Amino acid sequence: MNDNILDINHLQVRFETFDGVFSAVNDVSLSLGHNESIGIIGESGCGKSTLSFAVMKYLANNASVDGSIRFKGEELLEKSEKEMEAFRGNRIAMVFQNPYSSLNPALTIGFQLDEVGIHHQKLSKQKARHATLEALGMMNIGDPQGIVRRYPHQVSGGIQQRICIAMAILCRPDLMILDEPTTALDVTTEAVILDSIKELRAKLSMSLMYISHDMGVINKVAEHVVVMYNGEIVERGPKNQIFENPTHPYTRSLINCMPRGGVVKENTKLNTIPGYVRRRGALESGCPFVDRCEKRNDTCESKYGIREVGERHFAACDRAYATDVPDILKEKLIPRPRTTSLALNSHKELLKIENLHKVYGARRKVYAVNGIDVTVHPESVIGVVGESGCGKSTTGHMVSGLYKPTKGTIMFNGTDISIAWNKRSKDTLKKIQLIFQNPGRSLNPSHTVEQIIARPMKRLANMHNATERRQRIVDMLKKVDLGKEYLEKKPKQLSGGEQQRVAIARALSISPDLIVCDEPTSALDVSVQASVLNLLNDLQLETHAAYMFISHDLNVINYLSDYIMVMYAGKICEYGKRDEVMAPPFHPYTEALLSAMPEVDPTKQKKVIEITGQLPDPAKKPKGCPFAGRCHKQVGEICEREYPPMVRLSDTHYYHCHIKAMVE
Amino acid sequence: MNRTASIIIRRLGSLLATLVIMSFIIFMLVEIMPGDVAQMILGQSATEEAVTALREARGLNDPVLQRYGRWIAGVVVGDLGDSVYMQGVAINSILWRRVGHSMVLALTAFLMFVPLSIFFGVLAGVKEKKPTDSIVSFFGLATMALPEFVSGVILISVFAVQLNWFPIVSVIPIGESLFQNLNIVVLPALSITMVMFGYISRMQRSSMIQVMNSDYVRAAILKGMPRKYVIFRHALKNALLPTITIIGMNMGWLFGGLVVVETLFGFPGMGSLLMTAIKTRDVPLIEACVLLITVIYSLSTMVTDIMYSYLNPRIRFQGGQR
Repeated sequence: MNDNILDINHLQVRFETFDGVFSAVNDVSLSLGHNESIGIIGESGCGKSTLSFAVMKYLANNASVDGSIRFKGEELLEKSEKEMEAFRGNRIAMVFQNPYSSLNPALTIGFQLDEVGIHHQKLSKQKARHATLEALGMMNIGDPQGIVRRYPHQVSGGIQQRICIAMAILCRPDLMILDEPTTALDVTTEAVILDSIKELRAKLSMSLMYISHDMGVINKVAEHVVVMYNGEIVERGPKNQIFENPTHPYTRSLINCMPRGGVVKENTKLNTIPGYVRRRGALESGCPFVDRCEKRNDTCESKYGIREVGERHFAACDRAYATDVPDILKEKLIPRPRTTSLALNSHKELLKIENLHKVYGARRKVYAVNGIDVTVHPESVIGVVGESGCGKSTTGHMVSGLYKPTKGTIMFNGTDISIAWNKRSKDTLKKIQLIFQNPGRSLNPSHTVEQIIARPMKRLANMHNATERRQRIVDMLKKVDLGKEYLEKKPKQLSGGEQQRVAIARALSISPDLIVCDEPTSALDVSVQASVLNLLNDLQLETHAAYMFISHDLNVINYLSDYIMVMYAGKICEYGKRDEVMAPPFHPYTEALLSAMPEVDPTKQKKVIEITGQLPDPAKKPKGCPFAGRCHKQVGEICEREYPPMVRLSDTHYYHCHIKAMVE
Repeated sequence: MNRTASIIIRRLGSLLATLVIMSFIIFMLVEIMPGDVAQMILGQSATEEAVTALREARGLNDPVLQRYGRWIAGVVVGDLGDSVYMQGVAINSILWRRVGHSMVLALTAFLMFVPLSIFFGVLAGVKEKKPTDSIVSFFGLATMALPEFVSGVILISVFAVQLNWFPIVSVIPIGESLFQNLNIVVLPALSITMVMFGYISRMQRSSMIQVMNSDYVRAAILKGMPRKYVIFRHALKNALLPTITIIGMNMGWLFGGLVVVETLFGFPGMGSLLMTAIKTRDVPLIEACVLLITVIYSLSTMVTDIMYSYLNPRIRFQGGQR
């Protein structure tokens, strides 16, 4: 008998589907001690969530489970549904990825929290409410008294997730499972939530199972890391071991395919993992990663099995412990260099935005964009970064014509295009293309890939010759690394990465001058993100199109952009060439954003500048510096009162802040 | 609540506008119907002079708008005019009695089919793909496929002819009121229930299944809430939304459009009155009936919307959210 909180032994979860039996979790064994924190990492479809739902004994009817899951010595798999109720939410609590949909829209927040105490601890209504307020207070939610009376849709995403976590800690559980709790949130919110999770652990001494696809997040919260691929654990061990000395090729690829701080497009091509996670049949054996592994050889199947490679460090690759082939595998994969760099033509102006405003709504006004002046040069990439709600997407949509600006002008190649898209000329429409965040939703599900790509060609480029067009589509597909066989496929038959490739092909098919990319990689797995970024980069060199790349991920922006524009509350707070903006950041907001990015390298621990609070109310016109309320470097009352002056550091680099002005 | 009150007032305003527009359309539609009212009153053998005199006396030669104004002015003060077919009888004296009957029928049917179909819909939804679900779905489909004149005939032959529990025809003996003959309501109400049951229970089933698969129900289950509690406290309130819309949309039909059922059973309600009015070209009566049905439709839609916003806080507190 040990005092482990959780012992999973040879767990096997299989699903019976029309296509046959496939295994979602295969022979997984792991244990979690008291007050220990474990991070589970892997791409989507790797069985991370299935594993956590298996612990909760919440699986679909077509699942069959083998093995054992012991929670404090009790076998959970033998429990009935009724008996499980005493564990769920009480001893084992779970927090989900999407806080918005995990809270019942028809019940007040207070009700949903109270019921946990009422059911599990048989508290009276008053006592339950008391516990609720205490838990909300522990999550640093201001005004818990007011929050409990509200409905979930009335609070922001970050608060919603804090409410979900408060709900999970109500009964002081022994184990908390967090399934990608911050994936849907902003980096700044993420940083705050990760911090409070750390604090909670210290206060309540509970064990943590943290599921994420983001190495950086895992680095922040976990002591042990489990790398899962296709339902199997391919590597596990202490965090530092895994990050510094990754043994399994999958772990290495995963670490290396993230664009990390300092990695920029001029000198690096991102590592990618070819292919995608394949559904695994129940009878397949050998290394699950073999079909995507660059290091595979004929022993991958025969010698497969998890072994100890270091202290508490296990890996499932046979070359991890084989002594005869130590050489290349031991060294970390270095990002491959790429040579060509565009000579930036900074005199010409492709797009010139002047004093751009957008106000939504008539009676209840929402000031989304409040005066932006920026110039986009031909063949350059401008990265637009900021939290959600800062107006970056609105700006992109105005450029592409989806929204008509309320005020201001957008000049494109010398023509004024600050009009709605249906008033623009065909040529302008053709020259500006858009790539959306969610490729699954931006491709018509009932059209084939060929029809999708052909549409703008027919409508905007007057290509009416079918054979010619098809030839061009095949060429386009080839450029985005898709074969001819994709012509007849429909979006549903494609993976997320393939869908985004089709979307890119559609945008590029009529050789535009400017492509507005609205978070094109944020819905994708890291490995897919890397390949899409590489592709965008290569295609830019080839087609000389300019990109307006909108993202909340500074690492991605840093990797791909020539110019960076940091937005906050509908204003530009810093603009300049990439290197000017990134090192060192001048505006406090840029600095905070940078510090909030979770660091992948465990040796580099940086201090997070926490920006608490919310974006300023978009229904009011900001008077002083919009960031003043959250700024860690506020210089005084002037910040609230006056809009900060522009501080010019070079021809291309400026920011808006009082700090520099005060010093001089 | 202040907000609710303002919503209701705004809805009432738009209701009024709807009614004004609808009354005009109704008037115009009846206007272009073939046939001359004066000729109709006097019969085929009337002389040309007599017809002209009557037209003059009734103001039928006035411009359309003037006649519309006269009619609507009457409606506003509660005077729906006289029936043409039953000469000189005020419509008020026929119509409201019929409306009362229809209300009783509709209410009975409502009380039968709403709880029944929601209960079985929820049951089928919760037990998705299990035998209970199959049985409920089968019955729903079977009753839905039978038109009311078929199911009505079956009901009559079983309960009235064979078992002799209820009268075959739903007529009220002269001099008695409906409340002394409540047993005549049962069979028509049952036949409406059969029509509605399949429709509503299927709706309820599918929305229940959708809600049971939602993230928040999963979250509630994984919070350790007992299953019954999850179903009734967490799922039901959300799962009722689409069903309520459907029921609301059918309320108008239930109160005024039961032409087939009422005719089949000979039930003295609005539907059969409208039927007679159309058959006899009784223009003022048609207008009155149709206008009343419009009122009921609009009112039930409004009630549905208010119910909906009560159940769905996202509608209730819309402010600020995009």
